[in-house]
Amino acid sequence: MLELIDITKDYRGGKRAVDGMTMRLETGMLGLLGPNGAGKSSLMRIASTVTRPTSGQVLFHGKDVVAKPDVLRRTLGYLPQDFGVYPNLTSREFLSYLAAAKGLSARSARARIDELLELVNLTEAVKRPLGKYSGGMLRRVGIAQALLADPKVIIVDEPTAGLDPEERVRFRNLLSDLAADRVVMLSTHIVSDVESVASDIAVMAGGRLLRRGSPEDLLAAVEGRVWEVLVDPADLPAIQKGQIVSRMIRTSSGVRVRLLTHVPPYATAQRVEPDLEDAYLAIVNHATQAVPSAVSAGQKGWQ
Amino acid sequence: MSQTLIRLALGDFWDRVRRPAYAVILIAAVGLGYVATPAKEAGWVVMQIGTYRGTYNSAYIGMVVALAGTVWLSLGGFYVVRNAISRDESTGVGRLLAAMPLRTWAYLLAKFLSSVLVLSSMLGVLAVTAVVMQLARAESMTVNPVELLSPFIVIALPLMAFTAAAALLFEAIPLLRAGLGNILWFFIWAFIAIGGQSPNAPLGGIGVHSVVRSLAADMKAQGIDPQQVGEFSLGLTVVDKPLKTFIWHGFDLSPGFLLGRYALVAIALALALLPVLWFPRFDPARAGALAASGADPGSAPEGAATPAPVMWEDRRSTQARSAGFTTMPQASVHYGNPALRLLLGEVRILIQGTPRWWWAGVLLLTVVAQMVTPATGVTRILLPLAWIWPVLIWSRLGTQRHEYGVEAILGAYPSARIRVAAEWAAGFVLTAVAGIGPALRMCTGSDTQGLVHWLCGALFIPSFALVLGTLSRTHRLFPFAYLPLWYATVNGIAPVDFMGAIRTGNGSPAGMPPAFVLLSAAVMLGIVFLSSAARRVTARI
Repeated sequence: MLELIDITKDYRGGKRAVDGMTMRLETGMLGLLGPNGAGKSSLMRIASTVTRPTSGQVLFHGKDVVAKPDVLRRTLGYLPQDFGVYPNLTSREFLSYLAAAKGLSARSARARIDELLELVNLTEAVKRPLGKYSGGMLRRVGIAQALLADPKVIIVDEPTAGLDPEERVRFRNLLSDLAADRVVMLSTHIVSDVESVASDIAVMAGGRLLRRGSPEDLLAAVEGRVWEVLVDPADLPAIQKGQIVSRMIRTSSGVRVRLLTHVPPYATAQRVEPDLEDAYLAIVNHATQAVPSAVSAGQKGWQ
Repeated sequence: MSQTLIRLALGDFWDRVRRPAYAVILIAAVGLGYVATPAKEAGWVVMQIGTYRGTYNSAYIGMVVALAGTVWLSLGGFYVVRNAISRDESTGVGRLLAAMPLRTWAYLLAKFLSSVLVLSSMLGVLAVTAVVMQLARAESMTVNPVELLSPFIVIALPLMAFTAAAALLFEAIPLLRAGLGNILWFFIWAFIAIGGQSPNAPLGGIGVHSVVRSLAADMKAQGIDPQQVGEFSLGLTVVDKPLKTFIWHGFDLSPGFLLGRYALVAIALALALLPVLWFPRFDPARAGALAASGADPGSAPEGAATPAPVMWEDRRSTQARSAGFTTMPQASVHYGNPALRLLLGEVRILIQGTPRWWWAGVLLLTVVAQMVTPATGVTRILLPLAWIWPVLIWSRLGTQRHEYGVEAILGAYPSARIRVAAEWAAGFVLTAVAGIGPALRMCTGSDTQGLVHWLCGALFIPSFALVLGTLSRTHRLFPFAYLPLWYATVNGIAPVDFMGAIRTGNGSPAGMPPAFVLLSAAVMLGIVFLSSAARRVTARI
């Protein structure tokens, strides 16, 4: 449905944000993971026709949307990471304007806006100017505008920023529902945002696609390489310097450390089931090639 | 403390000069230096004593360029440096600084010094341009740095300090921090630039009168009677034939003259520090009330493309229920013709937050226009009044979606050209509504020619605002460009009258021909569409 072919984006000053990315998106949800500065937002802007790529093609149903972006824009719901609003308009006025910009008929726009304000629970605040909204409420207005035209393609960049924990869960579920018959592309650097809902995950860093697959594929790549061990707090700096630490929990008897490595880092280390965060860290840090150096294999942990 | 001040001022200065707009400002300064030193055969001058001007030696060229800088940079420079505090507000740096052990007076002083540095750097560019122009004009090839630079230091710099202080003071006064302050400064500037040349101006005014006396003395010494050759003039003037020249050797700085200059700097310092008494240090709780009371029709954020932090958050917002995200919208989507709703939306966006007193002003002008006699009073006085009233709202055209960061959303929306057209149409509607009183009076008075000029003006103004807003992406440029044009019209300069305000003896409009005004509007609209399209292609949203 939506294809990104050999996309490269260079900014002024020579910074290459996206480097030869090729992706095909079909119905379902793609979770785009990557560290800050990985090029996710640039890729999302290119996919949503906001930014033109330096080279490469974006095709929607086989049509070039770099040359003719309106083909995609009519049926696109895009929520950027950062956006502003007109502070003296109400949410209804703002959404009405955006519905007109989308080309919706007056009746259709009214009905959709009513339902969307209900969906994002802003009906009580509908008469207040947007300048009086909190950050989370503005994010909900952003979500509502992305769903205005019942989009077939939904591109959301860090959509859960500003939402409270309950809202995050519910919004993820909403996206999951929407993905049943739409293309949904969700970008985040928070692994938990995608692990429960995305059937397809792409990890990128440095503008390149590092790995793409189902959560199971990604987990399989680090199977048997995740260890937990209780260590002396004094050893932590050396451990962190030499190995990939995915988690640490301080307890009264020491620090329980979760490590990514090929070989058992300590005699007392226990192999544990990997989760998606481990897989993500392994991919981004090339954990499969990491060799422990600061603490030799077989060294005892803190009993 | 002095080191802290210097570091703060320099940090702020570097942040300003690394912005692309600064390069444009410097280019403008070079242009000003060039305009101030025309060639012999050029048809204009900036400074003259009747039919004479000084030979382009270091003393004269330094003085003429410095005076041109004094007059014009005190206007343009004000708009350049009047974002010292608002940048810290929109970037959030202000709140970081507010949490540091930095005294309010030190913060204000650092901002003042930074603004003086920015304006001084523009003077520096003017001084270098003056040297280049002296050598290029080749009337005197001996460069005397002391004679050339002293007018910049003793005349221009004190006024730049005053300008920087006024800009800071205006920013710290909620009522003046946005568009209203921009307009007020224009009139203050006009008063200073004209009144400051008077021999009776306090503290020696802008310092011109002492120069005039010195010029006259040298003319007399060379056998030219300054009373006979005509009056001293400072400002862009068209001349029919080349001016004659005399040699000016510069002037001796008297203690009284220097004292006046120092006093001006001292006043500037006091003005810059005056906000210590009420400056809220970026505390939303204190600033909220101030900001609300200071709302004016031109209020807009300072350039942040990212959403402004929610600083004035309403307490009720925290009580808003969290989102359900459970009921999927069921209403089907149908497309239609959205042109009218887009126009309505653009009108809403354009006039958003406009206070009631502003509309009361429009109503008053409309009513008064029906009662004033003779009808020429309507076109000569009320029409210009009606078309200065919305200047702060026009200045929003082409800028709001960028200044409020809405472009991030709209970039993925279709029909960008139609939105631009709707925005222009909203500007036209506003212009027509503001000027409806004089138009009705022309209708009842069967003033067809006046109506044609009125219509051309109503098409011209939103085009002018939209082109400047689209190109600059800031609401500050339009008032800066429009006010002189309007001011010239009000003062009866017919060649720039775009609205049909000035009439000939038989009552017909004496201003620009309607076809020319229409063509200008069309060209500007063309530029708007082309630049918008170019931005979309280069994807620089």
